[in-house]
Amino acid sequence: MFRIVMQHIHHGARWCFFLAPLIMLGEVFCDLQQPTLMSQIIDNGLAKGDLGYVIQHATWMLAFALVGVLFGASSGVLGNYASLKMGEALRSHLLQVALIDRNPAGLEPATLITRITNDVIQMQNLVMMVTRGLVRSPMLLLGGIVMSAIVCPDLAPILFIIMPLLVIFLLIVVRRSVPRYTRMQRAVDTVNRVMRENLQGAKTIKAYVLENHQRHQFNQENSHLRQSSQSAAMATVILSPVIQLMLNLGVVIALSYGGSLAISKTISDGQIIAFVNYMIQITTAMVQTVNIITSFSRAITSANRVQAVLDEEPAEQRSTPTAQRPTGSSIDFDNVTFGYQQSKPILNQLNFHVADGQWLGIVGATGSGKSSIIKLLTASFDQYQGTIRIGGTDIKQLDLPVIHSKVAVALQDSLLFSGTVRGNLTYGAPGTAAQLAQAATIADADKFIDRLPGRYDAAVEQNGKNFSGGQRQRLNISRAIIPDADILVLDDATSAVDQETNARIKSRLEQARAQRTTVIISQRVTNVMACDQIIVLADGKLVAQGTHAELVQRSDFYRQLVHTQLGGGNNGHA
Amino acid sequence: MDMHKRVPRNIHREKVSLGDWRQTVARIWHYLATRRRQLAIVFLLTIVTTVVTIVGNRLNGVVVDSYISKNKLRMLLIVCASMAGMYLISSVFTYFQNSIIIKVAQDTSAHIRRDVFANLQRLPMRYFDTHDNGDVMSRLTNDVDNINTALMQTFVQLFTGIISVIGMGLAMLLLSPLLTAITLLSPIATYFFSRRIAKVTQKVFMTQQQALGNLNTQIEESVSGKQLVQLFDHSEQTMADFNRTNAEYTKAAFRAQSFSSVIGPFNNMTNNLAYVLITAAGAISILTGHGGITVGIIFTFLIYLRNFTGPINNVLNLINTLQLSLVSAQRVFSLIDEQPEKDVPGAVHVTQTAGNVTFDHVSFAYETRPILRDVNLTAKQGEVVALVGPTGAGKTTIMNLLTNLYPLQQGKVLLDGRDVTTIKRQDLRKLVTVVQQESFLFSMSIRENIRLGRLDATDDEVVVAAKRANADFFISQLPDGYETVLSENASSLSQGQRQLLSIARAFITGAPVLVLDEATAAIDSNTEADVQTAMTALMVDKTSFVIAHRLSTIQRANQILVINDGQVIEKGTHASLLAKQGFYAGLYNSQFDTQK
Repeated sequence: MFRIVMQHIHHGARWCFFLAPLIMLGEVFCDLQQPTLMSQIIDNGLAKGDLGYVIQHATWMLAFALVGVLFGASSGVLGNYASLKMGEALRSHLLQVALIDRNPAGLEPATLITRITNDVIQMQNLVMMVTRGLVRSPMLLLGGIVMSAIVCPDLAPILFIIMPLLVIFLLIVVRRSVPRYTRMQRAVDTVNRVMRENLQGAKTIKAYVLENHQRHQFNQENSHLRQSSQSAAMATVILSPVIQLMLNLGVVIALSYGGSLAISKTISDGQIIAFVNYMIQITTAMVQTVNIITSFSRAITSANRVQAVLDEEPAEQRSTPTAQRPTGSSIDFDNVTFGYQQSKPILNQLNFHVADGQWLGIVGATGSGKSSIIKLLTASFDQYQGTIRIGGTDIKQLDLPVIHSKVAVALQDSLLFSGTVRGNLTYGAPGTAAQLAQAATIADADKFIDRLPGRYDAAVEQNGKNFSGGQRQRLNISRAIIPDADILVLDDATSAVDQETNARIKSRLEQARAQRTTVIISQRVTNVMACDQIIVLADGKLVAQGTHAELVQRSDFYRQLVHTQLGGGNNGHA
Repeated sequence: MDMHKRVPRNIHREKVSLGDWRQTVARIWHYLATRRRQLAIVFLLTIVTTVVTIVGNRLNGVVVDSYISKNKLRMLLIVCASMAGMYLISSVFTYFQNSIIIKVAQDTSAHIRRDVFANLQRLPMRYFDTHDNGDVMSRLTNDVDNINTALMQTFVQLFTGIISVIGMGLAMLLLSPLLTAITLLSPIATYFFSRRIAKVTQKVFMTQQQALGNLNTQIEESVSGKQLVQLFDHSEQTMADFNRTNAEYTKAAFRAQSFSSVIGPFNNMTNNLAYVLITAAGAISILTGHGGITVGIIFTFLIYLRNFTGPINNVLNLINTLQLSLVSAQRVFSLIDEQPEKDVPGAVHVTQTAGNVTFDHVSFAYETRPILRDVNLTAKQGEVVALVGPTGAGKTTIMNLLTNLYPLQQGKVLLDGRDVTTIKRQDLRKLVTVVQQESFLFSMSIRENIRLGRLDATDDEVVVAAKRANADFFISQLPDGYETVLSENASSLSQGQRQLLSIARAFITGAPVLVLDEATAAIDSNTEADVQTAMTALMVDKTSFVIAHRLSTIQRANQILVINDGQVIEKGTHASLLAKQGFYAGLYNSQFDTQK
């Protein structure tokens, strides 16, 4: 954890990080002077009736209070600066790692997002805490013990007995409560899950009249949560009364033992009072230290989660490109095998050739490996066997931007960024108004864009949630058309549009991309029927290859697909 | 699908009036009232512990003045022993007090959660359509937690705080008004200083929150759009944008938090100042012989100072926490107050039906948007009726009205000639089984999931249903078979398998009327064939409505209704509609035309 912090704290922030606790020592020192000075006023000033001595020492106390706040405040501001700068650098680094990460088995987006947002904030708070609390409380504790031993050595043994007892007690309570808190957290998760499912499944619950059944289940989990929360809280409830009691007993012992010493004139009143004051300071510091350790352990979890993201940073870079941008737009897969685990390949010994200007259709079930072909073609992953060529050049010898400008993809999940319609459409390449309109027309998005207030400048909310699924898909297709790339890939990009619109998009696209390499991936046979070549995937293997007419003749698998999707007997020729 | 636009509710900055507050407090009290006895005990214990603390602290000073200074060793030891006894009692009482509080608070929040959930279950479908799941979840979790905190900490601390402040205040005033005034200085200064800081920083804090919001949005967008960022080589641009927002946030946060990081040291200083002033003023009074102050009194005040500023600062801070939890309580109670679905007065029990369904001039609007216009249809017992048409045409709405999921606005829906709105909802929904496009599977065992169709079904019946739904084959291949516990959202199963399970669930109900919403996206061809035969088997001997996307289903239907823009525009069989060369024929040809 310390390593993460050190790696992301630079220049001024680094100075602040070390300076803040040092300055904090100043505040602690000032705080610790007060009881001693006070006892001197009582013992020397009052006993001798020396008003000048009283005023002089009171002025010292005042000075220490004022200097203390200067130390405290500047330490706070410096620590604050260090923690925020660390957070900034860490956040930026994590996002960078997340964006360039090309590891196929990487972390889920949702996980990444929480780590870059919440966990970094946790780390930030941690640094703030380290620079302030982690120095202040233990130092006050130690300093208090030292000072009280100096002021009143005769009473010091009281502390040496009470402190270890308290520490042992704390350890026992913490050890006992940790498993109970874990159990409680599990109960919280279960209750949350039941709630979430009941919201998501509201329609199913109503349709099957399951209200009472679900309520019963919830009540069970709910009372389980109640019990485990109570048990967890009860484990720590003993903490504060016992600490309080130990302190108070210590005070009583100090008074009685110290009092008897004072009566025999070994120590003074002022010393007893100062000692009791230090004891109160020590206990407060003790409680705070416990609190800080608890939050510290929480921050460690965050640090581990952040480290896991940093570990995703690729160790080796892509080798420098050796080939020029190819002029042709043919696609070759030669014996391509790919998988996250060696034993379970997602693509297995794949061979196909798409000639320049041809249309390729890829059909297959979910999980058959269709989208993985595109990921490999666009060099999202490098860890595959075999060779992939674009225009006859091995893509491993090409620069990433070259590959990406050669191949434009409309992905399956039609994600839009918040901003404007125009901003989204020109994400891949700038385009003139005419180009935008043309692309929108092909994707059948022109009509609804024209109806939007501000048309191409209409606002797009986060995740494009102010557009329907079908509209998002059509914007997504337009976005892929605008760069006018040599190779266009549509990865199941029309699954949410209705059949009529689908047909319109299909025919306009056929016109616009005639004689240009285009890849259509779909679960629906109708979308690929017209392609020059269709490949059928099942479980990562190529099971059939050819035109629609050939495949209907040759492939049982394809024929059955046609049969189930288009109904019996007509073989798709309506 | 048209009704599923979620309208996120505005959850920030809910203004609360004083009248509402009183009502909210009254309702929280209503929950607490059942634990009146425990609360009374807490009340007594608190008074005892507070008084004991005040007296104990005072005795410290007395010991110094009366016994140590006057060399009375025997009395010193006696008084110290009794102090030890008092502290012991006080700690034991504190322990019991806290234990009771924990129990009461947890019981109460469990009680509130139970009530909220019970009502949530009975809310009309429209509520779920128009409310963000996230918002409802945060009411059920965060807001209930806030109430719990308020009960557990705020309540007790506030109470103890007030008693201590009053008790100690009185005790101090009796000892020395001058030193009391000095002691009070510290919390008062703290209060005004933090108020001042809060005012100055409010704007900066808002800027910080806004910057944080922007930052999180950008992180979310670029991480979920990672593939796009890579494909379109946008990472440099994205990082540049992000770094700008990131720096803006850091700047705003630094400004906001620097102010607040000064509050701690400042409080520490006012405490130290009060410490100095008590010592100095006390010592000077003793030397000049004013006000009857003794060393013991100075000592007592120095201890009071530590014990006094804590509670008084607490009281001031807690007022903020309390405000927050009252807002939370209101959000929770408003969920309990939502009107649940209710049957019309005089709704009748109906347990059997032949399955004749009629829609008679049915119109329906969602808010002001018309969804259905004058829909008429008749389905006789055992018929299969297919509904086809573009997405958003109103097909699903028609079926939602059949199960009275939404209130009917115009026209009538009749089941065996009886208006469905006059049938008890629970009965109606048991007569009509709905298989949604994506039926929800719960994270329980497969067996339990199927049994949800009819809760009293035996294990054998579950297996029979699974067999008829073609699901038995894949279930028995799972390591735990029917006992396999599904992960959340059943993500371990394929889409087709999930559909088979929901068909099995529909099989087990045995209801005479069936509504089937076919999934649009095709699934893998083997499972797809299984799903189709299972659906066909499910329709046997039932009046079935199918929102159809598959030709095979459509061709088998006794009637096809073509829906567009909320209206039935064509009606007939597959052959008659094709012959008509109308909308249906166009739809059909566009989908299956291969020779462009």
